Amino acid sequence: MENRTRNGSRRRMYLKMVSSSLIRRASRLIIAVLAIAIGATILSGLVTIYYDIPAQLGREFRSYGANLIVLPRGDAKITREVLDDLRGLIGTEKIVGMAPYRYQTVKINEQPYIIAGTDLAQAEKNSPFWYIEGSWGNAEDTSSVMVGHEIAQTLNINIGDTFTVQGVRYGQMAEASRQDLSAEENQKRDLGAQNFSMKLSVKGIVTTGGAEEGFIFADIDMLDDLIGDTFRADVVECSVVADAAELSALSSRIERDIPALQPRAVRRLTQSQDIVLGKLQALVLLVTVVVLIITMISVYTTMMAMVAERRREIALKKALGAESKLVMGELLGEGVLLGFIGGALGVFLGFEFAQRVSLNVFGRAINFQWALIPVTIAVFITITVLASIIPVRKVMDIHPAIVLKGE
Amino acid sequence: MFWRMITKTLIRQKGKMFMIAFTVILGVSLSTAMMNVMLGVGDKVNRELKVYGANITVRHKDAALMGDLYGLTEGQGVNDKFLHEEDILKLKSIFWGFNILDFAPMLDGTARLEGVGDVSVVGTWPEKHAVLSTGEDLHTGLKSLRTWWEISGEWLTEDDNNAVMIGHLLASQNNIHAGDDIVLNGKTFRVKGIYNDGGQADGKILMTLPAVQELTNLPGKVSSIEVSALTTPDNDLARKAAQDPRSLSPDEYETWYCTAYVSAICHQIQEVIRDGVAKPVRQVAESEGTILNKTTLLMILITILSSIGSALAISNLITASVIERSQELGLLKALGAYNWQIAALVLVEVMMTGLIGGILGYFLGIGFAQIIGQTVFGSYIEIARMVILIVAVILFLVTLAGSIPAIRYLMALKPTEVLHGK
Repeated sequence: MENRTRNGSRRRMYLKMVSSSLIRRASRLIIAVLAIAIGATILSGLVTIYYDIPAQLGREFRSYGANLIVLPRGDAKITREVLDDLRGLIGTEKIVGMAPYRYQTVKINEQPYIIAGTDLAQAEKNSPFWYIEGSWGNAEDTSSVMVGHEIAQTLNINIGDTFTVQGVRYGQMAEASRQDLSAEENQKRDLGAQNFSMKLSVKGIVTTGGAEEGFIFADIDMLDDLIGDTFRADVVECSVVADAAELSALSSRIERDIPALQPRAVRRLTQSQDIVLGKLQALVLLVTVVVLIITMISVYTTMMAMVAERRREIALKKALGAESKLVMGELLGEGVLLGFIGGALGVFLGFEFAQRVSLNVFGRAINFQWALIPVTIAVFITITVLASIIPVRKVMDIHPAIVLKGE
Repeated sequence: MFWRMITKTLIRQKGKMFMIAFTVILGVSLSTAMMNVMLGVGDKVNRELKVYGANITVRHKDAALMGDLYGLTEGQGVNDKFLHEEDILKLKSIFWGFNILDFAPMLDGTARLEGVGDVSVVGTWPEKHAVLSTGEDLHTGLKSLRTWWEISGEWLTEDDNNAVMIGHLLASQNNIHAGDDIVLNGKTFRVKGIYNDGGQADGKILMTLPAVQELTNLPGKVSSIEVSALTTPDNDLARKAAQDPRSLSPDEYETWYCTAYVSAICHQIQEVIRDGVAKPVRQVAESEGTILNKTTLLMILITILSSIGSALAISNLITASVIERSQELGLLKALGAYNWQIAALVLVEVMMTGLIGGILGYFLGIGFAQIIGQTVFGSYIEIARMVILIVAVILFLVTLAGSIPAIRYLMALKPTEVLHGK
């Protein structure tokens, strides 16, 4: 009974000492909390960025365009069902863009050209590097198409101009013009049931520096209607967020589950992305480590300076009969409290910082790593406690009278 | 007397002053390292991005792209326009020649592969060593432009005129392996390696330029040149110039011409390659800019965070250590020192400590930057002189900012109270 009251009053005294010591030295405490909070901000901010960099930068590398080309196996074409299966297999959240292409030879002014029918909105996501004079075509206004720079030059057409494409409908054979018919009759035959003809206008001119400059890009459904066929794609270009290993695993999954398809990773992009992304990740890791080590040391020294200054106070307590264990306990309590407040403050400031960086650099929000809260707080409690113990131990070893005398 | 007091404090309080100096060293080294890395990162990442291959292609102005569009073979009025092999080395002589890292000519042709039929062959410089008229040693070739190729066997070398490399699709269809012999147009070649490109080249045969020139009977001709150049990401000026360089004012033209924009480099290439049209490969050129800008921005933000962090840490510690000396300074006040004298004393002490710490920290920081450069990029990071100035100014302001609240706090105190120990 007596023992319990003693214990109770001891605990009360302990709490009173810890809290009053904190309140009395308000200005110094602000400094200490500030030091810890700065450290915790840097820790949680940089670690959050480090964790999110591969995902975020990986998406940036998608600006290099499609990294997975899916071809049909054999002479078959890719139907819409197969396309949906493919989308399901890759997973919608990993797909940046997925554009089916159908290539069709048409005649313009009796010269052969190739129309590429595609999902224009997806193609735009796939190929952000295309330079479009005018604007991207869309699925609403299907008679407005985009033409490659080369074609625009050859045909001498500009944005807003129109041209007529002609060709043979799907499954029909082209009949040669017959010598015994007049030109008028031949033209009529060309417009007959087995042929098509349509007036298209130029919405945009495509410049890429590659083979795309020799194509006309139109909506795939419009092209299917025009040639009188259902959806059949020659190739599907996919831009998938994945590194080389993930992509090759994905390729073998596609081969296994959809036998009609033949996936091919674009080595040039996947290999190069792995190299460059690896370097950038190593850079951020190294920077994070250097910054963290330096920050930790500087928080530690600040804390040490603050505790060392209390030598006289500690010595006085000892002279008054306090046990070493009690004094240590008091300092540890203070350290834990400071570490907790500073660490908690820093976690959220750090997240706020990382969020701002991510929004500024990548234009996307960052995922909050919940595990960082306990980790950051634990790290800073450890640092403050360590910083308190070492200088205090030195004081403990010395005789109080010597310290009090000021030597 | 003033200086004696300062030296005395510096010596007597060496523990505390050492603590301040130490924090300053850490903070300054952190900022120095980060700023140097930040300023150097653009160049380093730009070089890393060269693994994506050529960002400029040069073709004959009339041949343009019609060849690969229809797959028409030469001799049909499309592919009979060629560039001249002797012009190629002139690429290094343009204004931005130093930024041209690698290049390789390509000569496309077809040849009859015995037992198979007509196949596409490409002649190139697998490797090229030359000494330029400027005395510069040149090492380039396709090998540096195809880092993503997976090779079984070996790469061709400069003088392998009797050897070929075969794309893996063509090789597997016809059961050809590295080490086999094949017959092209009646001439025997050794297969030195099989390459996996993951693109169109997998169905072709790669040979040296002289070998294809001989096969196709086109001595001294090339169809196109692939160029990999270090470029600056495009801005509005570059876009305007890319449309038509003549639309620029003389000042703008000069800025454009003397900046390593891809359009400016293309323009200069066209000046030295007869009948050539140089075009940026937008897939590589444009994406490079995106990645580069993002990485630089990221590093800038991290640098700002760590610099603010170290600045606050330094100023924090200074405040703490000055407040701590209230008794000593209170005594000075009681002995009749003026406020400004005390302020000057504190400031000079702190500044001197800061200066020593700053110098040590700067060199330590350069060390950190080089460790980062070596570990990540395998090369040294160039030291920017500008960083010394920036760090010095920041350090000065930070020490000042750290001392002022402490000094104000001391001046407000009454000596008696301080000495009494309240």
